[in-house]
Amino acid sequence: MTTARPMLGSVVALAMACLLAAACPASAQDSLGQPANTPPDETSFIFRRVPDITITPIEGSPVTLSALGRSSPLVITFIYTRCGGVCSPFLESLAAAARQTGGLGSAYRILVLSFDSRDTLADLRAAARAHGLAADQGWIFGAASSPDIARLARATGFWFAWHWSSGQYDHPSLLIAVDQGRIVRMLAGATIPPSRFREITDELRGKFVPSYPAQNRRVAFRCFRYTPGGGIQIGWGFLVLLAPGALAISSALWIFARSRGSAS
Amino acid sequence: MPLPVAGDGLWQEGEARAFRRLTLAWMGTMMFLFSTMLLLGYFMRLFQANAFRTMRPEWFYAVLTLHGLGMVATWFVGGMAATGYLLTRYSRPSIWISRLALAGTLVGAGLLAAATLFGLFGTGWYFLYPLPFYSSGVWPPWATGCFFGALALLFSVWTIWVLDLLRAIASRFPLRQALGWHVLSGRPSLGVPSFVLVATVSLIAGAAGLAAGMVLLGLWAVEWLRSGYSNDALLMKNLTFFFGHIITNITMYLGVGVVYELLPGYAGRPWKLSKALAWAWNTVLLLVVLAYAHHLYMDFAQPRVLQDTGQIVSYFLSVPAAVVSIFGGLALVYAAPMRWTLASWLFFLGLMGWAIGGVGAVIDSTVALNSRFHNTLWVPAHFHTYYLMGVVLMLLGFAHHLAVDLTGEPERPAMRHAILALLAIGGYGFLLAFYWAGAHSVPRRFAAYPRELSQGVAAARVAVVFIALIVIAVALYLWETARRCWRAFSA
Ligand code: HEM
Repeated sequence: MTTARPMLGSVVALAMACLLAAACPASAQDSLGQPANTPPDETSFIFRRVPDITITPIEGSPVTLSALGRSSPLVITFIYTRCGGVCSPFLESLAAAARQTGGLGSAYRILVLSFDSRDTLADLRAAARAHGLAADQGWIFGAASSPDIARLARATGFWFAWHWSSGQYDHPSLLIAVDQGRIVRMLAGATIPPSRFREITDELRGKFVPSYPAQNRRVAFRCFRYTPGGGIQIGWGFLVLLAPGALAISSALWIFARSRGSAS
Repeated sequence: MPLPVAGDGLWQEGEARAFRRLTLAWMGTMMFLFSTMLLLGYFMRLFQANAFRTMRPEWFYAVLTLHGLGMVATWFVGGMAATGYLLTRYSRPSIWISRLALAGTLVGAGLLAAATLFGLFGTGWYFLYPLPFYSSGVWPPWATGCFFGALALLFSVWTIWVLDLLRAIASRFPLRQALGWHVLSGRPSLGVPSFVLVATVSLIAGAAGLAAGMVLLGLWAVEWLRSGYSNDALLMKNLTFFFGHIITNITMYLGVGVVYELLPGYAGRPWKLSKALAWAWNTVLLLVVLAYAHHLYMDFAQPRVLQDTGQIVSYFLSVPAAVVSIFGGLALVYAAPMRWTLASWLFFLGLMGWAIGGVGAVIDSTVALNSRFHNTLWVPAHFHTYYLMGVVLMLLGFAHHLAVDLTGEPERPAMRHAILALLAIGGYGFLLAFYWAGAHSVPRRFAAYPRELSQGVAAARVAVVFIALIVIAVALYLWETARRCWRAFSA
């Protein structure tokens, strides 16, 4: 008996877990990609094509991403409406940045996609209304099928992971600027500084905005290093620069010393 | 008497024949690669003239990469093959190493063509770090592997070839004679030809350039094999231009060496190894490894002293060698019993083209002007001048000289006039369109110019007319020369 009770308890717990899993669509299959502490590396994605997925907007009929992008470039972002964390403040900060930089609706539009398969169009409509964006022509809230969301996420380095403990998704906040079907810029962060957002909108207006990838800290041989205030420091890599000349001179000397030309 | 001279104590009949056939094979390869790369150049200028509006720009960049590397490789091996052939007069370059270089070059060229034309690998000819790693889905990883595999193969066989030619020189001349130091110390030239001085300088510098290329490939491999280390972008850029600048410069010098050796035969006078000549070329050897710094003027982390060095060295590198060669060339032909054939005309025009391109280069290497011309079409303008109207003419002259020498077939004056006129008008017209666009700030490496850069389209439209003349000239040249080469090869 003493052993039967715990066994019964385990069976009940197992059955409840199965029931819960069946009732809750956010199963482990809803996670996608590898969670990472660092945002996706923008330079690996620039100029890549985004898949032409079908989007169902909260207003209007389903439309492909390419058709949406035909009238203006798009800034795409992923959220989910039950998010108790970053999604709401992120949307607020994005809306504020867009107001400050101008051009929304004419130079570009923002496409907010839910990556949570539980989100309905009604949920998305409510979210858009809550942020005062439902009537704004510059904003498109929409949903897509799970396979389509997965394709788009893979093409942009976006990931999400379901956490049973909190009943929430872990995910980055990401802006992906897309022009003519290709990624032209990406920006990650819970809040969007208007100055960084302006870089995106300028890029979408066809202006050249220089951007440089941050360098890995483990650099094999550094030759010269610029330090603000400290001038330029010379590193070991400088010796690598001298190697070709030294190699050529020593091999020439060796060849001539060995051969001792016959002419006099 | 065609080289190598059998029974001169250096070469036996069979070996001499084999070396001639090998040189003809090199010339055939050079002409084939040149005509293919020329058509690719034509394609690019047509692209910039908006002739292929529906074609993806990725094609332009892939072709740009193949054309750039292909042309640089073609004229480097052309110069090396001609130098090797002329060295047979004095010593014994290895036939087997030259064959190995030919096989390696053909396989390397095939791999480059596959990476670019099938894989759309499109980083530009000097594959600046870290671009090959960031294909953005335009080219697959196999294309990057294929491209670096081709470079590794080419650099390896070329390094062996360069060292072998140096060995051949060393077997006949001690270093101080090969570098003309005995003339500098006031002694007579001792029969050391000026060609040997130029070849020695070029080959030592070439060994340094190729060593830089090898080090560069090693660093790329360290990162590619995911060691967890990245490379220092500035070190990679320094090494890239160290390699690229030297290889392009010494190609020029190899061509000039060929002219030093062969033009006197047409002028009926020797081109003596003078003190000025020895000074000039020793200065080149000293400075050629430093001049590349002028490619890094825009890199603020590069020490100021290197930037200044880049400017000063660029002047002292190009001016003395060009001045002694151009004045030497003019003095050689002036009032000489000159035999003006297609070959001698090409040598002469090549020397003059070098001078003109050199002026464009010196302008661009001046810091104050470079800030205007950097990465505009001025850059391809100047290097196309000293390539297309310089070393290309010199080496086409060499191939024609060889073909006539080996077949004994006289040339047709009407053909000669047509080829020279079309080459000169077509060549300089094509180049002027580049210079004009560069002076109007049209950027280089732009597949399809946006509306703001409509001058670029206009210049490209003018250029395509002139390129058509070059294509006709090259077709006529091939008819005259390649046919003779083939006949000599199969005789
Ligand atoms: C008539 C013959 C030629 C034509 C029509 C031609 C055409 C072109 C064009 C249109 C470009 C691109 C310019 C730009 O927008 O940046 C180019 C680049 C280049 N060409 Fe030529 N070219 C010719 C001959 C040569 C020769 C003889 C060489 C000898 C080495 C050469 C080497 C290069 C190189 C190295 C580049 C730069 C590639 C890069 O930027 O990565 N070309 N050429």
